[in-house]
Amino acid sequence: MAGKMTVGQSIVFVATLLAGCGRADRIVVGSKNFSESDLLGEIVAQQIERRTGLPVERRFHLGGTFVCHHAITSGQIDLYVEYTGTAYTAVLKFPPAHDADSVRRAVTAEYARRFGLTWGKPFGFNNTFAITVRRRDATRYGLTRIADLARVASRWKAGFGYEFLERADGFRGLADAYGLRFSAPPTAMDLGLTYRALAEGKVDVIAGNSTDGQIEALDLVVLEDDRHYFPPYEAAPVIRQAVLDAHPEVGTALALLAGRITDAEMRRLNALADVEHKDIAGIARDWLQAPRP
Amino acid sequence: MSLLAFYARNAQEVLGLVAQHLYLVAVSTLLAFALGIPLGIVLTRRPAWQRPVLGLANVFQTVPSLALFGFLIPLPFIGGIGASTAIVALVLYALLPIVRNTYTGIAGVDPAVREAGRGMGMTDWQLLTQVELPLGFGVILAGVRVATVVSVGTATIAAAIGAGGLGVYIFRGVAVVDDTLILAGALPAALMALAADGLLGLAERRLAWRGK
Repeated sequence: MAGKMTVGQSIVFVATLLAGCGRADRIVVGSKNFSESDLLGEIVAQQIERRTGLPVERRFHLGGTFVCHHAITSGQIDLYVEYTGTAYTAVLKFPPAHDADSVRRAVTAEYARRFGLTWGKPFGFNNTFAITVRRRDATRYGLTRIADLARVASRWKAGFGYEFLERADGFRGLADAYGLRFSAPPTAMDLGLTYRALAEGKVDVIAGNSTDGQIEALDLVVLEDDRHYFPPYEAAPVIRQAVLDAHPEVGTALALLAGRITDAEMRRLNALADVEHKDIAGIARDWLQAPRP
Repeated sequence: MSLLAFYARNAQEVLGLVAQHLYLVAVSTLLAFALGIPLGIVLTRRPAWQRPVLGLANVFQTVPSLALFGFLIPLPFIGGIGASTAIVALVLYALLPIVRNTYTGIAGVDPAVREAGRGMGMTDWQLLTQVELPLGFGVILAGVRVATVVSVGTATIAAAIGAGGLGVYIFRGVAVVDDTLILAGALPAALMALAADGLLGLAERRLAWRGK
């Protein structure tokens, strides 16, 4: 009995030591399983390495929002980049909202209260749904806003991904908000294939994501959401308050990234990763080293 | 929401998708038989074609469906979005087991039996229809069985190209993280695959028994 206790105690002791070593002065950065999240994770990781000199461990390409959220609330990772709209509807389960400022305020307050997590300042871009058409058509019919689409919709075909067709803040609400009536019910297909179908003229309008690299690569145009129907999806780092308390310099380093990436800039970075298949670490390094105006 | 409640609420839609799914599988496997069995026979007559044809059928197996759809969208007639593109992809995926088993079934016929047929003055057509095909039938049917069962499963990808079928529930379920929806599509597809396998297995045993 006494022997067992000793073994148990020593295990606890060693585990405490190991945990202490692992967590003390190393920042663990996570990311979700798509290029943009990996890119932002890498930018954040390199920024911390450069500005603070703290060692950074990367846990990238984790399986989506829920995995990242569980990882950070259980302390497996210290920070990752989240989108305000995703946190608002998917994590906090609030009904979709349309005002960027109130959504940001709500997630900041709730994350601090419920999870002990702090939202950093957004990077500056908004990765929301993007109603996208061919540049040729946009020019010919003078389309710049989604409202303009109502004029041509009755002769047009739409192709949408399943998520856009299913979600409360997706197609049904959009059609009502803008009075859109297409020639036939939208074709349901894989999101990646909708870009191909649009470029090849098989459909005339799709709903992509506003920072997808294909938008520029395929010479497409995003129509402005002039009635502010789509919820805001501003990307910002989410970090454990305990880490910020221990290493305030990490917060300072992250603050330097605030407002630095526009929609177009994020599209360009995504295109480097998804269209040109460049190395994520290299893209992040080049971006951080590029001179700023 | 439970699966049964979901089916009760959406009975009309479920039946429509099941019908679409059956249509995609039936048309594509019949086309694959019509192409694959003659192709397999030709390979036994033209051994030099064997490597390139089987190699190509192998390559089709390895191309991911979304990539294949991407290639097919720009093509006239067989491409675009909708059922035709899905059927082309399903035919390409079903070809390998059919061609390979047809070839193997015929090539596996005892050379002595074939010689005996020739000795009796049979033409190549008679040899094929009266000796080789009946003797190789079990192996050929096994290939048909594999192709059909696999097609029932792969037909779920048709939903990625606007062709409908049970994959619609799977794609929707994945998009909104809803297990009930995913099961609503996956379960009937699995039952359909089991039923197809059972029926063809029954046919196989019947024919094998009659052969004796």
